[in-house]
Amino acid sequence: MTDTVISLTGVGIRFRRNRRSRRSFKDLFAGSRRRTRSGEFWALQNVSFTVQRGEAIGVVGRNGQGKSTLLKLVTGVVLPDEGTVEVVEGVAPLIEITGGFVDDLTVRDNVYLTAGLHGMTRKQIDSRFDDIIEFAEIADFIDTPYKHLSSGMKVRIAFAVISRLEEPIILVDEVLAVGDKAFREKCYRRIEELLAGGRTLFFVSHNERDLRRFCARGLYLDKGELVLDAPIDEVLARYNEQYGIKPKTA
Amino acid sequence: MSSYAQVRPEQRTPFARYRHSLWLLTQRDLRVRYSTSILGYFWSILDPLVMAGIYWFVFTQVFQRTVGNEPYIVFLLAALLPWMWFNGAISDCTRAFLREAKLIRSTRIPRTIWVNRLVLSKGIEFIAAVPVLILFAIFSGAEINPDVVFFPLAILIQAILTAGVGLIVAPLVVFFRDLERAVKLILRFLFYASPIIYGTSDLPEQLHFWAAFNPLSGIFSLYRAAFFPNELDWFVVAVSAVMSLAFLGIGLLVFSRTERAVLKEI
Repeated sequence: MTDTVISLTGVGIRFRRNRRSRRSFKDLFAGSRRRTRSGEFWALQNVSFTVQRGEAIGVVGRNGQGKSTLLKLVTGVVLPDEGTVEVVEGVAPLIEITGGFVDDLTVRDNVYLTAGLHGMTRKQIDSRFDDIIEFAEIADFIDTPYKHLSSGMKVRIAFAVISRLEEPIILVDEVLAVGDKAFREKCYRRIEELLAGGRTLFFVSHNERDLRRFCARGLYLDKGELVLDAPIDEVLARYNEQYGIKPKTA
Repeated sequence: MSSYAQVRPEQRTPFARYRHSLWLLTQRDLRVRYSTSILGYFWSILDPLVMAGIYWFVFTQVFQRTVGNEPYIVFLLAALLPWMWFNGAISDCTRAFLREAKLIRSTRIPRTIWVNRLVLSKGIEFIAAVPVLILFAIFSGAEINPDVVFFPLAILIQAILTAGVGLIVAPLVVFFRDLERAVKLILRFLFYASPIIYGTSDLPEQLHFWAAFNPLSGIFSLYRAAFFPNELDWFVVAVSAVMSLAFLGIGLLVFSRTERAVLKEI
């Protein structure tokens, strides 16, 4: 099982630097030409790599170097201005996980809605519903409107749903920074289980320990370019060296 | 832990997934709307009823009406209810992306869904309001004639038109916020420019030809044909069918050209 599941070739995406810069109809309909227009910058450029099934990849880089944008490109929620992104299998994105939840609906309705939007059938959700609720530890609140949950509970139920999607590729974007320590550990164990089950993982984090825990391979992004694609230890070493952080000895 | 073969979720065709997501979102809309208000369904028919009541009073009790057909309330409702669908869907489309920004950023369902679900949920409300029209027809003694078979055709053409216009409006509003208000204004103008309180045949002779180019003329005349067979003018219907398809074509084009930029913006 070493087929390619994700492949990016020469991917670039640009954003406008500020909201107020002028935009005309001509701009809007002009295809994705390579020329950079004034007031725009390339968030990512010339990014190419492939991922084999079952790999666990950590994305490293300073703030604003395009890590989250990379994950969004792989998820397919933004489209590249140049190059191609090919993802041949389903993706479970742990990015903005609470996004699909509706305040006025109950937890139960929300679970069915979000899992359904990510492609699960009603029957599949039925069979996993108890699992999801148990994992999120909110059995007493199934029929509570989502808006009345605490922010910790909201994240818990969202994580429980997305991590149960059973998609072959998982993308994790620092969502686990919230939630208490015990729950975070539970999430991490869940991710490890998924990895053991043969999933492909894409992980963005600033936490070196977490990166080493899950990932074998690292991608180092700097100034919108893919600087290094190597084993995670090597990537972390380079990152620390460039940004003057002493590697922890402990 | 389950093995790899077991974890693959059931594969569905893209079309089935699209339909499934569309249906879920529409259901969500209706459920949110009806679970948070006591009158629920009643609200969606109250609005056109009050408007119809006002026009009926003004045009039959205050002024001596020379336009439309007898019974006027049926004549009015037959166009006012579909107008509510068009008006509601297009004005909601101005916020289609902005309101759902969080969800759009976290799922990768095809983006045309954000427009189509509005067309669908407003369409369902329209169909739910049709019994009201039938009740009024019964009580005011309007005769239903065989042209009622064209009702579904009118619904189809209107769905195509509404989706087309929505696909143009929704992405452009993201870049030009002023459009939100401009659209509201245009809709108000369109209300009087379309044969709702009058019929196409009430217009001055020289305007007949041009009125056909308002695609709503043909659609409303198809709806009205169920009660007033003389309202049916196939030339007008044909023009509006062609115009609706053209709108859909342009809409799909605009949408696909702007999609990339929309996703970055929200």
